[in-house]
Amino acid sequence: MPNRTAIAALVTCAAMMAATGCSSSFGSDEKTTQDTSEKQHLTVLIASSGDAETKAVKDAAAAWAKQSGNTVTVDVAKDINQQLAQSFAGHKPPDAFYVNSDQFANYAQGGSLYPYGDQIKDADDFSAQLRASFTHDGKLVCLPKDTSTLALAINDDLWKKAGLTAKDYPTTWAELKTVAARLTKGDVTGLVINGEYARVGAFMKQAGGWITNADQTKMTADSTQNTQALNYVQSLLKSGSLKYANQVDTNWGGEALGKNKAAMTIEGNWLTGGMKADYPDVKYTAVPLPAGPAGTGTLAFSQCWGVAQDSGHRAAAVDLVKYLTSSTQMMKNADAFGVMPSRTSALAEYAKKYPSAKAWADATAYAQGPVTVSGFDKVLTQFNTDLAELATGDPKKILADLQRNGEPALTTGE
Amino acid sequence: MSAKSAAARAQGRHVLGRFPLSLRVLGYATVAALGLLYIVPFVIQLVTAFKTDPDAAAHPLGLIPTTPTTAAYQRLFGLSQDGDGVPFLRWLGNSAFVAVLVTAGRVLFDSMAGYALARLRFPGRTLLFGFVLAVMAVPMVALLIPRFLVLNTFGLFDTYTGMILPLMVDAAGIFIMKQFFESIPREVEEAARVDGAGVFRTFWSIVLPMARPALLTLTILSFQGSWNEFTHFLVATQSSQYETLTTGLARLVSGGLGGGTQYPLKLAAALLATLPVAALFFCFQRYFVQGANAGAVKE
Amino acid sequence: MFPRTSQNPRPAPRSRAGGGPRTVGSPGAPDAPGGGGPAAAPHAFPAPRVGRRAEGAWGWLFVSPMVLILGLFLVLPILMALWVSLLNWDGQSNPFSGQAEFVGLDNYRGLLTQDGLDRTLFATSLRNNLYYVLLTVPLQTILALTLALIVNQRMLRGRSALRTAFFFPSVTSSIAVSTIFLFLFQGSGAVNTVLSWIGVKGPNWFNDSRGVLSLLLGGLGIVDTSHPTGALADHSFMGLSWFEWLSGPSVAMCTIILLAVWTTSGTFMLIFLAALQDIPRELEEAAAIEGVSRFQLLRYVTLPALRPVLFLVLTLGLISTWQVFDQVYVMSQGAPGNTTLTPAFLSYSSAFNDADFGQGAAIAFILLTLILTMTAVQRFLFRERTPRARRNR
Repeated sequence: MPNRTAIAALVTCAAMMAATGCSSSFGSDEKTTQDTSEKQHLTVLIASSGDAETKAVKDAAAAWAKQSGNTVTVDVAKDINQQLAQSFAGHKPPDAFYVNSDQFANYAQGGSLYPYGDQIKDADDFSAQLRASFTHDGKLVCLPKDTSTLALAINDDLWKKAGLTAKDYPTTWAELKTVAARLTKGDVTGLVINGEYARVGAFMKQAGGWITNADQTKMTADSTQNTQALNYVQSLLKSGSLKYANQVDTNWGGEALGKNKAAMTIEGNWLTGGMKADYPDVKYTAVPLPAGPAGTGTLAFSQCWGVAQDSGHRAAAVDLVKYLTSSTQMMKNADAFGVMPSRTSALAEYAKKYPSAKAWADATAYAQGPVTVSGFDKVLTQFNTDLAELATGDPKKILADLQRNGEPALTTGE
Repeated sequence: MSAKSAAARAQGRHVLGRFPLSLRVLGYATVAALGLLYIVPFVIQLVTAFKTDPDAAAHPLGLIPTTPTTAAYQRLFGLSQDGDGVPFLRWLGNSAFVAVLVTAGRVLFDSMAGYALARLRFPGRTLLFGFVLAVMAVPMVALLIPRFLVLNTFGLFDTYTGMILPLMVDAAGIFIMKQFFESIPREVEEAARVDGAGVFRTFWSIVLPMARPALLTLTILSFQGSWNEFTHFLVATQSSQYETLTTGLARLVSGGLGGGTQYPLKLAAALLATLPVAALFFCFQRYFVQGANAGAVKE
Repeated sequence: MFPRTSQNPRPAPRSRAGGGPRTVGSPGAPDAPGGGGPAAAPHAFPAPRVGRRAEGAWGWLFVSPMVLILGLFLVLPILMALWVSLLNWDGQSNPFSGQAEFVGLDNYRGLLTQDGLDRTLFATSLRNNLYYVLLTVPLQTILALTLALIVNQRMLRGRSALRTAFFFPSVTSSIAVSTIFLFLFQGSGAVNTVLSWIGVKGPNWFNDSRGVLSLLLGGLGIVDTSHPTGALADHSFMGLSWFEWLSGPSVAMCTIILLAVWTTSGTFMLIFLAALQDIPRELEEAAAIEGVSRFQLLRYVTLPALRPVLFLVLTLGLISTWQVFDQVYVMSQGAPGNTTLTPAFLSYSSAFNDADFGQGAAIAFILLTLILTMTAVQRFLFRERTPRARRNR
């Protein structure tokens, strides 16, 4: 009996081994075969800011499909970072997709992105700062699909109601503090922002600090400038004239502004699209962020159109991306949901066409781009977590933790 | 009152008599409140699904929508042009497809394995039963990454096969079936065998028909389990074309900004996702109860 | 396949078929008719047509789907993950071809001994889950027992409707129920509206990362929660200060605890109910004739008879509460302030969000070890108790 048992077990094991050995789809060993047929089917994954953006991208993709004879399916990701990471590991990525600048380094480092920058003849039309954000190993990997900066958006009605005029638009930290306090009344909070480094970071920049040095080789998180910025934000939080969006039951600053819960918010130009779609009746004005002790400062964000290394339709995908990043299409997107074009030529046209978005367009000149070191997003996630507790936390300790957490990532990241 | 309780005692019922009236009223009130605690969330869900977004935000408790609307349902069923991103019918189709196949697989394979473990003598049986018991202890949450790895290796990631095949056998189901088959008198099978029926025929035409109550329990629990399955589908798929009600809804709810909170939409989707299992539950509650008491498979 | 109480298929007491409350999970359930193992052979029936050898073949044929599927999708993956947990693998190469760097136990070291972000996060997730277990298990057990006692009242009208209501949340999808709770517990949601009727200003549930224990102590003026000092702040364990360890579950975590208690109490109620119905009526009647009060009956007759089941429910609760994942995924994804982060979710997010599959697999293994140990202890204890439960019958 024990003998038989052993044999049976052995047979089972052998069967399992055979099954295991028979196929392996970890495809990086072999080259992905390219589809060269006339009619190809492409899948595109985007992270949409709302129905307007989804519709604009779908329409553009459909137009390209009609023109090229291919077909395209556009999917909207609910959590694009997680869905992309999983699809890269599973070697079943969509053909083209949005890549967030904070994730770019991870994907490029892992070889998941197909670098197509050398196939773009007029790549110079994209600003140097944007191109730098999406360059890995000296190669431009993907094209920035748009650009965004932060500005201060003000609810006109609430502003007037508080007896303020255009002259009172804050230009310094001290003025911001005064008007925020004055606007805070009842259900209205003077300033509502998202409690994350992508907003609070602007204050660090205005104080003359930033998370890393310019070439991202050293952490500079625990500088006195950064401490000063966080102290300032904390003082606003403690006074109640600044609240985080989730404290007033909203998902983001635009929602707070639209629901009249916030008199001011700090948001990017995507705000125009969101407000048009959800709160078309709410009037607001965008002004540059007030300057801090070290002058003006704001943050820039961008996403690029990634093409998957594992895609079987790279050529077609690059062609689609070219179509989607043309000046015409960028202006269409701007019209539809208010994003700013990433092409310098189109940006000028945009600034002319939309004077109300001047504050955002102008800010591209001095905006700080994101940290693009692979493995760094985990550090920033933790920083965001700590910033959420800023009201009761110790700014020095938060920054010291950031410094400590970031150092290993910088040394191993690149 | 006392006469009543005396009568009750004489009948051997209500031996402890009844509570005094005041206590009884209090007791009923408490019990009713407790019952409400379990029902009200579903009622609120039902009502809110017919509200507009602002109405849902302003009157979260209002039991009558101020401006009733079926906008959420129209959007779910693709009747409105108001954008998309919620391919509800696809979720529903995927959930139904996967649940049906998984259920069929579980009922067949679990009863086969259960029968073999209960009745057939073969080398390694004890070992295998020990294996089943060990497998029952392995929590699904610890299998997230392992399952992903193996599906990936076999090229089953992001396929229906990868979603269905790993769920087709479950140790607890085998256990239930084994317990049940052991409770069937052997004489029936012996008679069949004396009449010349082989192992498979005995199993298929004698034993299985006798196992109908257990099979029904297994069917219902399997369907409920695979309909509500979330973690496996989360790691087994990536594309939206394979989203089920659970993964689709989870991503809709946990994800993103834009378009406000959309609670009526989310709650309507959650409601529709609950309905099939709820219908089963109210028709076959007995079997759910048996499931909760796992081994209690009656003849 | 069971209601959500048990993230894993679990053994549970059988009620009628097998007599007294007794776990069928006791490995081998030794007295099962025709029982497991070679012991079955002695009273095996004569099989005139089918030979022993043929029966053996049929046996393997019958179990082959199970062996294949469980082997390929359960045993094999665990072995693969064990290997991956020793790698520094970003999910983009082939982990079995030597392209990924072999780092030995570094992933485990990073979680347990090495100071850094990874260990802090892991310690935080352990702390959160520990509080989750400490609150959920007793609450759900007490609630389930109460519900079972209510539903077991023979003179209560509408008790089958009540039983249905109490049990229903257990059979619905965890995702759907989490969605409802998200809506109920919004800052200006239904729960806070109800609280405002009695003059309480409810917290902003899902955004409130303050620990309830520290709130309590702060409220009593024992600890200055905004600036903890002394031993609490100076000492730390696994990268978290004592204060952070002791601050209790956050307000946000409490909503998840409430959700868990609400959904699981129904299943455990049924387990209690089955045991209650096994208590012989005669015992109750005899006690009544002796003139004992209801309370005495509960205290000296009912509860002692429930003891094995009570223990079973407690251990099952202990095991399943270490696996909380769905609710965290839907309701909070670890936020606010990492206070709803659990090891299960951390394992998932390390792998799929941060592309650090080695670390994720290592967390999964630590969790697996923890749960398997608890299950083994449970089964061992129940094996000891089974005979006594039977004697009581």
